[in-house]
Amino acid sequence: MAVKEEDSHTQCSEAGEYEEEEEEEENDTQNGEQNEKRHHPLDDRHALQFLDSLDDYLIQMDSLSSILRQGWLELASARHSMGASRVNGALLDLKFHNASTSLRVTQDDDDSGVGKAHFTLSKWASSGNGENGSGEGKLREDKSPQLRHRSISPLSETPEKTSSQIGASLIVDEQVQKERLKSLSVFGTLVSPKLRTAQLSFETALGKLVEIANTRSTLLSAFDQVKEEIEGTKD
Amino acid sequence: MYGFEALTFNIHGGYLEAIVRGHRAGLLTAADYNNLCQCESLDDIKMHLSATEYGPYLQNEPSPLHATTIVEKCTLKLVDEYKHMLCQATEPLSTFLEYITYGYMIDNVVLIVTGTLHERDVQELLEKCHPLGMFDSIATLAVAQNMRELYRLVLVDTPLAPYFSECITSEDLDDMNIEIMRNTLYKAYLEDFYKFCQKLGGATAEIMSDLLAFEADRRAVNITINSIGTELTRDDRRKLYSSFGLLYPYGHEELAVCEDIDQVRSVMEQYPPYQAIFSKLSYGESQMLDKAFYEEEVKRLCLAFEQQFHFGVFFAYMRLREQEIRNLMWISECVAQNQKSRVHDSVVFIF
Repeated sequence: MAVKEEDSHTQCSEAGEYEEEEEEEENDTQNGEQNEKRHHPLDDRHALQFLDSLDDYLIQMDSLSSILRQGWLELASARHSMGASRVNGALLDLKFHNASTSLRVTQDDDDSGVGKAHFTLSKWASSGNGENGSGEGKLREDKSPQLRHRSISPLSETPEKTSSQIGASLIVDEQVQKERLKSLSVFGTLVSPKLRTAQLSFETALGKLVEIANTRSTLLSAFDQVKEEIEGTKD
Repeated sequence: MYGFEALTFNIHGGYLEAIVRGHRAGLLTAADYNNLCQCESLDDIKMHLSATEYGPYLQNEPSPLHATTIVEKCTLKLVDEYKHMLCQATEPLSTFLEYITYGYMIDNVVLIVTGTLHERDVQELLEKCHPLGMFDSIATLAVAQNMRELYRLVLVDTPLAPYFSECITSEDLDDMNIEIMRNTLYKAYLEDFYKFCQKLGGATAEIMSDLLAFEADRRAVNITINSIGTELTRDDRRKLYSSFGLLYPYGHEELAVCEDIDQVRSVMEQYPPYQAIFSKLSYGESQMLDKAFYEEEVKRLCLAFEQQFHFGVFFAYMRLREQEIRNLMWISECVAQNQKSRVHDSVVFIF
């Protein structure tokens, strides 16, 4: 009887051990599933970022293509209107002059600490505003101290700040317009509105190119991260 | 009033009038333009043009063609026809034909001076000059630093010399001075041509007065629109308008103070011939204004052929050929850029 009791006790203990093992396995499985669930958001985030960047890149490339097509046709239209002797490559200025538009490349770190290139375009930066960068940059510098004072200053000062902001933006617009006319002056001072429209199209295309460069940088950074994760998962 | 041109015109001008009327018959028709507008490539355009009078000028051009090549070769045809007429002409028709080329001369002078200011090679600039505006000492223009030197060294021996009296200064040449010089010269040239035609009298005076007045009015509108938003003052703008035409003097006074296209429109709509032109445009739009003016000009030029025994047919023919070359340039650009949907934006049918 004692033996049988011992056997039954052994069987019970074995069964209990077996049940414990099963419970441990279930716990391990559940932990594993939880661990997997904990990793998914990160994988999805980088993969989604990559796909989003890719989508942006393709849309921007398509947009650039249509802007350039429009610009070239407007240039042809200007040549048709003003005559080939007034709009041709032989009139472009070969004298030394400062660049009216410049590109700055910086290295930014994203959330995961991976460095990526960032491109910034400074349009229509005149020689007088060289230290401040573009006229648009100057506008940004003028805005920020006013924003800081806004919460402190009384209500009566707000309209003055607003009008000064508007005045600053008008000054910048005039400067930009002057720079635009100055760059077109190689074709003459009195040019057709079609040539100015063509200039705007190519200016937009230049901005679009910089956006594409930034999107491509983000795309490549996201791709590297996704690749690292895939390689980490395989290991 | 007309003189008795019918009695004496054919003695000296009959042959050339017949020649120019024959050339007029060779202008491209609407059917030709429809075929050209459907071309898929510049080689197709060359193939279609080979069946026209432009054939011999394009047949030896190798592929791949460029739009500027087509325009150059078509211009060569115009130049050959002009030179043939000039060498056959007697006075006063020869002077009349020479007057037609002074506009090209002014454009070439400005091209050389502007290009030199931008430190371009003179040979490169000479290649871009219009062949009808060439003269012997044109390459010497690159030496001049200001308008006084320009006149003294080069232009004093050219037909443009009398037009320089209003714009001679010792200021160094810059973009604004050159633009004012261009428009001042062209104003003086138009006024001189107008007086010459008035002196000829008869049908030539009547028809050419109408055509030149339209040219002066169109230039006034273009100067106004192109100077909106620039540093050109109202007084300087007014000085660039010609002293004749339908808009002279009251229209010019109103145009001089216009600040946008809608104000220009409100001024021009007071004149019935231009009301029809501006009625084709929507408010604030100026893109189709060129085409509207070209269409009106073509209509007036074609009417010049309805009458005989006058010199206006030569002027009208040259201008119609220019329009044809502009059409071919636009069609070529649209085909080359794969933008055939826009080809009818600027093509003006002549017949």
